[in-house]
Amino acid sequence: MKSIFIVIPAYNEEKNIAAVIQDIKKADNTYHIVVVDDFSKDKTYDIVKNAGIDVLRHIVNRGQGAALKTGSEYAIMKGAEIIVHFDADNQFLASEIASVIEPIISDQADIVFGSRFMGKPSNMPVLKKNIVMPLAQIFQHFIFGIKMTDPQSGFRAFNAAIFNKINWHSDRMAHCSEILHFSFKNKLRVKEVACTVVYHDFGQKFSGGLKIIKDSFLNIFIKH
Amino acid sequence: MQIQQIIAIVIIFFFIARVFNQKRHDDININEFRFWLVFWLASGVAILFLPVIDAFVFDLGFSASGIEFLLYLSVAILFYFIFRLRLRMARLEKDLTEIVKNIAIKR
Repeated sequence: MKSIFIVIPAYNEEKNIAAVIQDIKKADNTYHIVVVDDFSKDKTYDIVKNAGIDVLRHIVNRGQGAALKTGSEYAIMKGAEIIVHFDADNQFLASEIASVIEPIISDQADIVFGSRFMGKPSNMPVLKKNIVMPLAQIFQHFIFGIKMTDPQSGFRAFNAAIFNKINWHSDRMAHCSEILHFSFKNKLRVKEVACTVVYHDFGQKFSGGLKIIKDSFLNIFIKH
Repeated sequence: MQIQQIIAIVIIFFFIARVFNQKRHDDININEFRFWLVFWLASGVAILFLPVIDAFVFDLGFSASGIEFLLYLSVAILFYFIFRLRLRMARLEKDLTEIVKNIAIKR
């Protein structure tokens, strides 16, 4: 039985986090859940702590990429064999974690990305689906030479042993593109699995996409 | 010497005095002091020898005058400094994230 850690970065998610935790527990009670509260201003931290879940707290807001890194390193310290990145806004289905980790368990992949564009139900906003995402795909193809159906999925799982090969530097949202880039650059076995997405709001806006491009550009020049 | 050159020299003297004053109060370190002193002295020399720069710029094949050339050059240098500053900020942010991460994990 593999030790599976679900890392959830959370920022002001008091409305969703309890349901997300409950759904994950319901899906499989053996999953270790780690929530990283990225200096929320609401009661996210208290809700998770009262639920008896491992919760790490950033004392300054550092972004989703940074929160995922904190959670992933903590999971590895605790002996994780498979790490799953899962959103705190209840847009993914906990019941689909099993299908995302399955290729890793069966040793067919090192890293698996949940794709919102492989036929499963999605209520993605029209603008996002037809303009923002195709633009992100083009950017990713030209900058990183990567062709994936979903360029910005926050639902992924990887074998903890390959963490150093995908160790992203972006604190904010550019980590998605970076993880994909490192996965291909280091010739990892990459797989995409269809996942359902339920949008409660628009999510990342077009300006967020521009920020990702800016962060990716700066990352090229910073020594890591 | 033209009136504009005299005004520019006075302004440069003011900034050189500020640099000395900041060093005296330990607001800047020795490296920053040297950098800004050399910068303002070089600016003063450039202003004093504008005709030489005019000729130099002409020899390079530019149609602009020496003062315009200096202006273009300063804008380019400013852009470079902004970029350097942005990189420095990004590195500081990276260090901050590392500290925040370690605190979160150790707590």
